[in-house]
Amino acid sequence: MRTIAAALAATLLGAVPLAGAAAPVADKIAPLPPYVAAYQPTNVDERGAWMMADEYERHLRDSPEVIRDPALNAYVRGVLCRTVGDDRCKGVRLYILHIPAFNASMTANGAMTIWSGALLRLRSEAELGAVLGHEFGHFELRHTVEGFRNQRRGTDVMAWASVLMTNSAALQVGVLGSLYRFDRGQEQAADMLGVRYLAGSGYPAAAAADVWERMMSEADATAIGRHRKADQRYTAGFFATHPTELSRATYLRAFASGVDGGGSAEGVRYREALAPWLPMLLTDQIKRNDFGGSEYLLGRLAADGWTTPLLFARGELYRERGNPRDLVNAAEFYEQAIERGDAPPEAQRGLGLALLRGQQTDAGKAALREYLRRKPDAADASIISTLVAS
Amino acid sequence: MSKAWGVVLAAWMLVMVVAMPAQAQEKTGIKPGFTLKPGTARIVLLRPAIKVGAQSTAGLFEPNADWTAQARENIGRSLAKAQGGLGNSVVECSEPIGADAAMLAEYQDLFDTVVQSVIEFQFFPGNRLPTKKRKDQFEWGLGDGLARLPAFAGADYALFVTTEDHFGSTGRKVLQVFAALARVPVTAGVHKGFAGLVDLRTGELVWLNADMQMGGDVRDAEGADKRVRQLLEGFPGRPVPAPVAVASAH
Repeated sequence: MRTIAAALAATLLGAVPLAGAAAPVADKIAPLPPYVAAYQPTNVDERGAWMMADEYERHLRDSPEVIRDPALNAYVRGVLCRTVGDDRCKGVRLYILHIPAFNASMTANGAMTIWSGALLRLRSEAELGAVLGHEFGHFELRHTVEGFRNQRRGTDVMAWASVLMTNSAALQVGVLGSLYRFDRGQEQAADMLGVRYLAGSGYPAAAAADVWERMMSEADATAIGRHRKADQRYTAGFFATHPTELSRATYLRAFASGVDGGGSAEGVRYREALAPWLPMLLTDQIKRNDFGGSEYLLGRLAADGWTTPLLFARGELYRERGNPRDLVNAAEFYEQAIERGDAPPEAQRGLGLALLRGQQTDAGKAALREYLRRKPDAADASIISTLVAS
Repeated sequence: MSKAWGVVLAAWMLVMVVAMPAQAQEKTGIKPGFTLKPGTARIVLLRPAIKVGAQSTAGLFEPNADWTAQARENIGRSLAKAQGGLGNSVVECSEPIGADAAMLAEYQDLFDTVVQSVIEFQFFPGNRLPTKKRKDQFEWGLGDGLARLPAFAGADYALFVTTEDHFGSTGRKVLQVFAALARVPVTAGVHKGFAGLVDLRTGELVWLNADMQMGGDVRDAEGADKRVRQLLEGFPGRPVPAPVAVASAH
């Protein structure tokens, strides 16, 4: 696997100054490329790319999806700054988007986004730093404009081939494949630069590989939950814009094994910082209709024991699926959450609804009455009271 | 993560051989009975969405920051001139901050969405929704919340302007010639724009002009004048009232 990745990187990264997994061990801890603060775009293509990014960012800045909480923003920015260094992070505008999937992005002009779904899935500051460092790598390596130029070159060749050659299908397919290979090469280069930031930050570099290994496990759990075959691939498909998660985990792990172990991953501090957001993140996740993946995530989050928000979310997850056996489990999870004493009123509501549907009318109504007592002005108070009265 | 080009490219070869559909559709809509007496209205101009660049040989948009900056300046000047001629006062919308900015951004998105719907489901007769089939009908709106925005205080109408230009590169034009020899239709250049007027009291879209093949080179002052003239074609506040009809051009 490693040799495939290395060969790939060596042949494809011509335009990218960082030679990915092909770098020998001694090179891995080479100093980072010199960084110019307040970089300004230089040529027509780059200035054009920045203009488009500026327009996009105006839109992003005012978007209702942005989570603007100052404390959360300061925390995530702090992790970025520790990972890539203060001089690099200063110019970055960071937007935390309320989208319950695992993703992050970087524009040509240095506007970074990270999605709330990523915050739920990451487990430590080191892992968050790995993701943010990867995105910053795209910016530092000027990937947007390079990618655009590559795309333009490739499609130009294809356009001419389609007009001038009698049978150009094979050539066109070849060029098309190279366009996606180039994207994958850029992703790998950003991965490698990102993990180098991480290695220099005092966070353990191994965290970058951990992210991808867990993403694979979650994808498998999702597939099994949906009665599909787990589909982890060894090599990237023709149209893949990113290397497979397996190859990313492999080359990142290989890099990490060659450098210092690093300090603490700061998992506890991460959990504490995200604790106020956990209920919202879990609610979003439950709504994704992904029983297998959600159950896997809850299991990982509960590695150190089931807390009230996790138990409540698990109750919601089971009640949502709603088989008779699920309702029994759901009621149990709600009860465990309630026993801990700090459950939200909604736990009583969930318990009541689960019990009602499980034919335990009296106990169910009692729980619903308790919900209404604790939250008389709930949005669904009137419909719940009709259930109690029925 | 990031920079996902999607599978857009996969459809590339298909795009190369499929001709662009002929733009046989209407361009202007106006709410029946709506008139704007010249010299009476206070109009707020929202920051025009302007994108200017080149079109690569294969048809990719190559954004050009200089051209866009020139176009922004030229179009702004031409718009002020044109509206001044109508006697309407046009003020540029001040950029709000905080919650108002988010609200305004949402209305701008809503306007874009409504305009796309008008173009798709009313201006294109073959695609008309059953509720939009009646003759002389133009009934679209953004809701009545617009007036609450401080940016619109004291104004009667909001004017939205969008233009997008992809100037065909030399490579694109040469390809067009060769493609024509091979009997493959290839177009060079994209020049489209739309302008709409929204009644701030009711939120109704009272006038919309959308043109997918516009003239005028927005990079110079004269071209911008021509572009703005075309953008404001059928604008209800004309000194000499033009025959107002839903279908103005085919």
